[in-house]
Amino acid sequence: MKIVGIIGAILLLLAAIIILPKVNNVPRLDENVNMYASQLDNQYKRRSDLIPNLVATVKGYASHEKDVLTQVTEARAKVGQMTLTPEVLNNPEAFKAYQNAQDGLSSALSRLMMVTENYPELKANENFLQLQAQLEGTENRIAVARKDYIESVKEYNLELRTVPGKWVAALLYPEAEVKQNFTATTTESATPKVAF
Amino acid sequence: MKIFKSIILLMLLACLAFSAPTFPQLNNSRVIDDAGIFDANQEMALDKKLANHETNTSNQIVVVTIKSLDGYDISDYGYQLGRHWGIGQKDKNNGVLLIIAPNERKVRIEVGYGLEGALPDATSKTIIQNDILPLFKKGSYYDGVNSGIDKIILAVKGEYTPARSTNESSSIGFILFPILFIAIIFINAMPKDKDSKKRIIPAIITGSIAGAISWMMFFVLGVSVFIAVIVFLITLFSSKSDWTSGNYPTSGGFSNSSGSFGGSDFGGFNSGGGSFGGGGASGYW
Repeated sequence: MKIVGIIGAILLLLAAIIILPKVNNVPRLDENVNMYASQLDNQYKRRSDLIPNLVATVKGYASHEKDVLTQVTEARAKVGQMTLTPEVLNNPEAFKAYQNAQDGLSSALSRLMMVTENYPELKANENFLQLQAQLEGTENRIAVARKDYIESVKEYNLELRTVPGKWVAALLYPEAEVKQNFTATTTESATPKVAF
Repeated sequence: MKIFKSIILLMLLACLAFSAPTFPQLNNSRVIDDAGIFDANQEMALDKKLANHETNTSNQIVVVTIKSLDGYDISDYGYQLGRHWGIGQKDKNNGVLLIIAPNERKVRIEVGYGLEGALPDATSKTIIQNDILPLFKKGSYYDGVNSGIDKIILAVKGEYTPARSTNESSSIGFILFPILFIAIIFINAMPKDKDSKKRIIPAIITGSIAGAISWMMFFVLGVSVFIAVIVFLITLFSSKSDWTSGNYPTSGGFSNSSGSFGGSDFGGFNSGGGSFGGGGASGYW
């Protein structure tokens, strides 16, 4: 009897040792995801803020490229209505819409930058060069923020799907759900770069 | 003692295995010339200039030349390298990396979060285009880098005032203290049994408790597992007489690990743990 008691106590202790440090993991990782999501949203906003200036500058040299310019303006307007809030993160449809809108703006912008290659005067414009550098930097920041976000969601989802985090979540955080993650877009898997 | 050493080594390797691209080693210098484009004097001159700047402003600027980007885009490589090394002070993220990949003919200024305001992307781009690339095209790497960092220093100057270094680098003693504390309590509480087989279960318990406690303290998996295993081994292999007689069985293993933890505290350069978010600009020639 004594042995059974000891073994029972040991098992209980082991369970406590495994579970106790994990108790706060779900909310902690959840906050982590929210933080990275707002960082990403910030970078997208920053890109969107660059566009009016960019469009105005390009218009000065290439006013007859109306199609591309309106596409960019429209795509920006669409993006402007969206924010990556925690509610959006937990709603697959809203999340998809957000992703689509941002991807739409990405491709409209890359088309615009491709068009500008045909205007040597525009390419020599100091203002345009500055905007181009800012846009490049912002796109790069978006890529980094996306990667960080994807990583944080992965961590969160892994916690919810694996033992013992799964048990902890079932006991203490029954409302926690697996979060949406980005899928690599075609523009991401094959980055078209025209440089010569 | 061999077990100790190999386990410690394994732990360290496991911690290192996470990084994706292969990065050059950070040594005690602000100029890491992996591609070998500077001579010793040039390297020293650059290092001195950057060291001066750091003592005045606490900004960490590091020049790195890279043999190969391993197929990564230089911007992708750059921020990962900056995070990996932790350039910049931890609370300010005021690091700048000037990365040169001479074989790929690419250069990048990678700017830490905290300096993005002082050194915006457009400024980085201008420095690359106007000050670095013309000299690189002529083949004089040193002059290009030199004028580049001059301009970078001018740009970031005054953004931060020097902060007295509080020396909060994680010392091994901080980690070791709880380990020894817990281990000694348990060893003393244990029956004086020389047969280590009978100690396995208590040792497992002690080890897991130590691991759990350290997990709550540090939230670093590698450290917790490391501590758990060490406490487990200490409890398993040491008998009470070993400790009371002053015969510390683990000294060999620990001096080994403290070397690899604390070694960078001496000498010229300590990276402060700053982070990067992809700011900066790239160029090619």
